[in-house]
Amino acid sequence: MTTTLEKAPAPTPEPRGRLAPVAPYASALQIAGGALTLIGALLPWATFVLNEGPYPEKATLEFFTAPLAVTGFRLHLVLFGIAAIVLSLVTVPARGRMLQGLGWGVVAVTLANTLYLVAEGGGLGTITAADGAVAFGPIVALVGGALIVLGGSARRREDKPVWAWRSNRYVEWAILLVTYVLLLLLVAAVLTSGGQGTAANVYSGAVFLSFLGAVGGLLAALQASGLLTWIAAVSERHRLFSVVVLLFVALALPLTQAGTEYWMTVAANIGVYAATAIGLNIVVGLAGLLDLGYVAFLGIGAFVAANLSGAAAAQFDIEVPFPLVMVISAVVAGTFGAVVGSPTLRVRGDYLAIVTLAFGEIFVRSSQNNIGGFTGGSNAIPGIPPVSAFGNDFNDELIIGSVELPRGALYYVLIVLIVAAVMLVFGNLKNSRLGRAWIAIREDEDAARAMGIRTGPVKILAFMIGATIAGFAGAFFAHKTGTVSYESFKFLESVTLLAAVILGGMGTIPGAVLGASILFVLPEKLREFADYRLLLFGIALILIMRFRPQGLVPDSHRRAELAPDSGVPPTPGTAAKAAAS
Amino acid sequence: MLPTLLSQIVNGLVLGSLIGLIALGYTMVYGIIQLINFAHGEIFMIGAYGGLAMFTYLLPTFVQQQWYLALPLLLLAGAGVSVGVALIMERFAYRPLRNAPRLAPLITALGVSVALQEGVRVFYPGATAALPFPKVFVQGTWAIPVPGGTVPLRWTGLLIIVVSLVLAFALNSFVNNSRMGRAMRATSQDRDVARLMGIDPDRVIVLTFVLGATLAGVAGILYGADLGFINIDIGFQNGIFAFTAAVLGGIGSIKGAVAGGLSIGLIKALGGQYLPGGTAYDYVWIFVVLIAVLVFRPQGFFGETERVRA
Amino acid sequence: MNAILEATGVTMQFGGLTALNDVSFGLSEGEIIGLIGPNGAGKTTLFNCLTGLYAPTAGQVGLRGITLPVDPARVTQQGVARTFQNIRLFPSMTAEENVLVGRHVRMKQNPLSSLLHGPGFRRSEADAAEHTAKLLAFVGLTKFSDELARNLPYGDQRRLEIARALATEPSVLLLDEPTAGMNAQETEATRQLIFAIRDLGISVVVIEHDTKFIFTLCDRVLVLVQGELLVEGTPDEVRGDPRVVEAYLGAPPDEVDAQIHAAEETR
Repeated sequence: MTTTLEKAPAPTPEPRGRLAPVAPYASALQIAGGALTLIGALLPWATFVLNEGPYPEKATLEFFTAPLAVTGFRLHLVLFGIAAIVLSLVTVPARGRMLQGLGWGVVAVTLANTLYLVAEGGGLGTITAADGAVAFGPIVALVGGALIVLGGSARRREDKPVWAWRSNRYVEWAILLVTYVLLLLLVAAVLTSGGQGTAANVYSGAVFLSFLGAVGGLLAALQASGLLTWIAAVSERHRLFSVVVLLFVALALPLTQAGTEYWMTVAANIGVYAATAIGLNIVVGLAGLLDLGYVAFLGIGAFVAANLSGAAAAQFDIEVPFPLVMVISAVVAGTFGAVVGSPTLRVRGDYLAIVTLAFGEIFVRSSQNNIGGFTGGSNAIPGIPPVSAFGNDFNDELIIGSVELPRGALYYVLIVLIVAAVMLVFGNLKNSRLGRAWIAIREDEDAARAMGIRTGPVKILAFMIGATIAGFAGAFFAHKTGTVSYESFKFLESVTLLAAVILGGMGTIPGAVLGASILFVLPEKLREFADYRLLLFGIALILIMRFRPQGLVPDSHRRAELAPDSGVPPTPGTAAKAAAS
Repeated sequence: MLPTLLSQIVNGLVLGSLIGLIALGYTMVYGIIQLINFAHGEIFMIGAYGGLAMFTYLLPTFVQQQWYLALPLLLLAGAGVSVGVALIMERFAYRPLRNAPRLAPLITALGVSVALQEGVRVFYPGATAALPFPKVFVQGTWAIPVPGGTVPLRWTGLLIIVVSLVLAFALNSFVNNSRMGRAMRATSQDRDVARLMGIDPDRVIVLTFVLGATLAGVAGILYGADLGFINIDIGFQNGIFAFTAAVLGGIGSIKGAVAGGLSIGLIKALGGQYLPGGTAYDYVWIFVVLIAVLVFRPQGFFGETERVRA
Repeated sequence: MNAILEATGVTMQFGGLTALNDVSFGLSEGEIIGLIGPNGAGKTTLFNCLTGLYAPTAGQVGLRGITLPVDPARVTQQGVARTFQNIRLFPSMTAEENVLVGRHVRMKQNPLSSLLHGPGFRRSEADAAEHTAKLLAFVGLTKFSDELARNLPYGDQRRLEIARALATEPSVLLLDEPTAGMNAQETEATRQLIFAIRDLGISVVVIEHDTKFIFTLCDRVLVLVQGELLVEGTPDEVRGDPRVVEAYLGAPPDEVDAQIHAAEETR
């Protein structure tokens, strides 16, 4: 395999404006920053033991017996510090950008832990000096991170290097395979980092955020090095191979450390919302129609399934097979989708958003009142039997040969297949006559009509297909949880789904999945912030619209859609995109 | 029969004038910047909590006990808190998006709404449950004699009707007769031309938010005084009603907001009494009306034709 | 004369305002008609009536003897395409995608085949892509095929809009100020492009303020003043008509003469 690195076309030689005076000392700054990060990681981090037990990872003075045996986030910091020093000494292209990524990673990790220590420990004394104990780890590491960022920014502006490696098909396949397996391990690690957030494990949130910061920094650095772009290009060359391998990799999650009943349930819930979010993405992202009552379709699907599979059907001695239940639920939801979408024939823009909101509220109110006896009202519909196949209930453990799959793994497998199918639907539709018509309507409805697009039916079709997908997911949801209540389909859930689509990036598949994952994993981890969940949500929506309206994974050639004309600085998000695509 | 009908009408008028008061804020903001300010309902809710905070933490006992002392202070506090929050919201959430694509401000408004509601729930002591609201007006009811019985009208209800109508008239004459009012109307017609005429659109927009928030704050206090308790959901619910009222009356029209508010109040009261499903479905009827109006007569009662944005 | 597009007695009123009053004209196959008139004369309103965007208060528009419906989508389907005075491209789609949207009415694809991507789908996509590539080459935008429409230079955006309209395989093309904001060189290129479109057998109606451009391009010129068809004739007839000089050009005669001379020179 030959290693040719294509030189980026003559980078502009001047250092950045305001940082120009610092430029000559960039290397020194970075080495200092790296060293400080390293030292900070090895110093004690808290002056006393928090109420809930030693946090973080034996970093208080009295647990500070083996300073070199660092684990957890302090290990991350050590590695980042070493990497920063090495990068400052070795000349590689775009190291300024890479160092920036690492630096922000250090800052993020340090801040996550520091803020937690300060908040839980009751003041700055926790991280400075109190009762004769000193713990300057956080401050030293923070300064280190800031210096690395500063040094990185002060370097010359460099273009992202373009890697032009090519090899024969099998080598590239092998590379992709390794990459995807690493991706799986990374996803499993992120998912399980910090463990399950419970009363007994209050540190889960801080550990998780810290880990997320580290991963973000790492990905940003890799993105700056051009590696991720290259891998994206390679996977684009072997599209089919990538899709198949990624599907298998996703199905292999139960075999990693995330293979416990709890994580399988979390992952299956993420899957439900990811599939639903992709459906919403058709309506909002492609066709540009804001739907504020979308979760109602998930609810309709769930209620239909609950009635078909639960006590209501048993009363009449009907047993509908699960696949048929899913199809019926989807069709019913799709029909309602057409009804809700029909005002688009006359109503446009934000008025349409209000119409969908009104439909959503009518659904909630009606199901709360147990309309027609179909929804169970405030008692919900309990006792929906689990899906079963080949005499096996899906919520049982499964042992195949020597492999033991945890409870819920079958549901996980099923939802992965559903999400994959939904992705296929979305991708196929987007790249078709219909998809182009949707996007054209989003861009300029009058011009679309002048191009011969019958906008009315095309828009209703968007609503219908989106609702069908949600209904499908709803049927799964009903069987998975066993109980369906109107409480799961209130306005805020619609807002959450919308936030997932917007946060991830409108009109993209990885965006909807990433957004749904973030919005549904965070509450699991941040139990101690459970009270602030919705507050943070609202604030996040405001901030995203203000600073990154195109989302974490912008549509590759439409990223300017919602953004102002100026270029957007690279963030860990763009790096995550390359990893996800 | 007749007393029931009349007392439902009275209930409807009380709720309706309150809704109309909130609807004025929606209608003015939409008229000027074509934004459905989703968070306006929360401004109303925050006004109620502002007044409650003032009463609970600031007023000495002897003022608390005299409603004629407490009520004006509470109204000031409610309006003040609402205006403050509205100003922050306008400056930091909406103004940066002035020229953004149309979905952006609407989504931001949703975010502001959620954040305000949750902010109060998390940070206001005891706000996770309903809180009792002080009795800052004459308690009891006026039993209006009618053939076949009496129709009860709470004094607080009467207060709501009177204050709402007075404020609506005052606003109407302000917009029609004052210099700033003319600037507002000019800006709503064409912001760029107004700018050329020497009107600062930002000032007009701020003024619009201030006026809307003042009315919402007052409405919050009146609502609390009438009902006797408040919770954090009142903003979303009444906000949607008020928006419906604004659309029903013809968005951009002050008369329309009041007429729409009264209609919504009557629909809720009479629908809950006489339509199938009873009070459990009174909300549903309002949403049905909302959809029907948006689909079939988006310009409302008093709206000019084609005010609907394409 | 055998007209392909024929407007008879088209009248358009908005409230009390009459924007068009009893306008009739016919467009022959392979003909280029120029539509001129002062601002607010109703030129774009006439286009909107021709393309089914407005329902005329009275009168009707026929294509090959069949009355056109009041529905832009179906009018386009039947073979009348247009461009807009203010460019109305799909800004966040690439040049190629813009033209592909124009293929919408000529593509055989139903929602199911869009979903399944079967052989029929692939054939129609390949077909459309081929057609699109040809059109982009025709207007000289091949090099911008993957560029977002909003990032194209102004003149190229106008050309892309024409390519998008051509993708609908029209028999009549309506161009609303195709050279607005262009320099002399671009204007000349547009003239050649319109001739080339005419040579494809497509009849063209052009709205333009630049009389020099119109007089050297069109076979026939219609002058619209205050919603009424004032004069109709060959460029030479129109140019010499005193009513035009007075009502439309509204400028001192010698200035008009200068314009006309300039027009003659370029001929």
